[in-house]
Amino acid sequence: MKESRLTLLIFLAPTLFFVLVFIAYPVVYSAYLSLSEYNYASDPTPKFIGFKGYIETIFEDSMFHTALINQFKFAVPYFVITFLASLILAILINELRFGASFFQVIFYLPMVIPLSLVGITFAWLLFPDVGIFNHFLRSLGVSNWNIDWYGDPKTALNSLVVARSWKMIGFTLIILLSGLQGLSKSLREAAKVDGANFFQEIWYIVLPNLKPYLLISGVWILINAMKTFELVAVVTQGGPGMATLTLYYYTWKLAFERLDMGRASQVAYITAVIIVLFSWGLNRLFKPETASRA
Amino acid sequence: MTRLGDSHLRRFRNLKKYKIGILLIVSVIALVYVSPLLWMFITSIRPTWDIYKFPPSVIPGAVTLENYVYVVTQMEGFGRYFLNSAVVTGVTVVIVVISSAMGGYAFGIRRFKGQNFLFMAVISVLTIPYIMYLIPIYIMEDRLGLRNTWWGLILPYVALNLPWGLLIMRGAFSTVPLDIRDAAVIDGCNEFQMWYKVLLPIVRPALAATTIITFVFAWQEYLFASTLMTKNEWQTLPVGVVWIRDELQTLVYGRIGAMIILSIIPVFVLFIAFRKFFIEGLREGMIK
Repeated sequence: MKESRLTLLIFLAPTLFFVLVFIAYPVVYSAYLSLSEYNYASDPTPKFIGFKGYIETIFEDSMFHTALINQFKFAVPYFVITFLASLILAILINELRFGASFFQVIFYLPMVIPLSLVGITFAWLLFPDVGIFNHFLRSLGVSNWNIDWYGDPKTALNSLVVARSWKMIGFTLIILLSGLQGLSKSLREAAKVDGANFFQEIWYIVLPNLKPYLLISGVWILINAMKTFELVAVVTQGGPGMATLTLYYYTWKLAFERLDMGRASQVAYITAVIIVLFSWGLNRLFKPETASRA
Repeated sequence: MTRLGDSHLRRFRNLKKYKIGILLIVSVIALVYVSPLLWMFITSIRPTWDIYKFPPSVIPGAVTLENYVYVVTQMEGFGRYFLNSAVVTGVTVVIVVISSAMGGYAFGIRRFKGQNFLFMAVISVLTIPYIMYLIPIYIMEDRLGLRNTWWGLILPYVALNLPWGLLIMRGAFSTVPLDIRDAAVIDGCNEFQMWYKVLLPIVRPALAATTIITFVFAWQEYLFASTLMTKNEWQTLPVGVVWIRDELQTLVYGRIGAMIILSIIPVFVLFIAFRKFFIEGLREGMIK
């Protein structure tokens, strides 16, 4: 059988078509847009202005600053909650000899619920008067609180964090569980024989050996932490005030409400650079261990 | 000997106790975890007067299917969203599976110049914010008249899912033993026959993984769908249900709950049935 260049090209053709038209071209064109002034409603073509737009966005656009700060206020608790919750769950589920697959299904389920509908679900759960969560707080005697979780600027962003983590936990659980299942049993048995208790065993034996998987889940959560759109669009629309204006949502507003494609592309590129820098940094941080395992 | 036996027995007992403790803890967490969804379900099977009474109660005062009946028989929009979701998702899955089965073969078995660079370039799609693609794609589709059509969503969805599919399929193809391919060559197969008749049956689990992962993504997607499908009749379920919620300013969480439950049933069923492939596919994509 002859492996010709022609057959190779045929096998690659669909990939090349979709990647060139819907990935490569958009990346290049939005880079060009980010160096241009382009109001889609009024300008016939983009007008090239170089880095002027970036400088304005970074130094003068106060809404961009708000979005950037909000993004980090969102990302930090989101990262901590998702990471710790899925790690603890993975360790616990891994100990189970009975019902492990049942619990996995429960924790994986939110992965298949659209984020927009997760938003509606949490908005209903956290509804002010007749919402069941406030009712629980009241019946626990916590107080006669009637918190408008998504309507109060103090709680809105963190209430979005909870909903977003709820959806993400199953995803990282899959990575961490597969890491835990790969650990050799004899290692942990040896620790038990040496008299280590459960927590020592986890801290000294399990976690160090889990590092590559901790890194991968960390990177995935991080990438995700920077892409906050659906919940904001469905539940709070960036409000109250600008309390939940995130980078993604701000980009979207710029592009599709103000039709300011230049500014929108600048914010999108800045977001992409932040994501790349963070995943690179996290990779560097864990590099020696990953290299030795690979 | 007896001492040793005793300690073993004690250890066994301790072991069991702490396992039961863990089982209890996980059960409680699981119940709390699933409660938002459970609450939406409970809301969907209550009559409206029962949903908005104050103070609210967890146990329904009455159970009814009226919300479901209303959504299915009275809300034409909902049926239309369901159709849009089904068509867009179905066609996307078919194209992604075929394209990644072809591309996965090229990347997993053939060797060519620039292979690694091209593959990494494709994979980097997964980390770039999708909104970066959305702006040029919106402009492009606006000019070509693709907005508010099924193809307007299918084409970008294929592009966004192809990287996962290629990751999965490349992995599967690269593990096919060489002698199987040699045998096919001796049997006089040409390259397409070998791909279709010999290799594809072997990588069937990977095809299943690509199918289920693409399905789950396309069924849920909101950013592209809400931006490109501005006309109500073209909206998919994740967008349409939100649109209905915004449209009916009055409180109708019973019906919204019914719509949410109905929207996620297809993907639930598929997920439960094919979860092994789903998990394997995600693992393949995320870890390797």
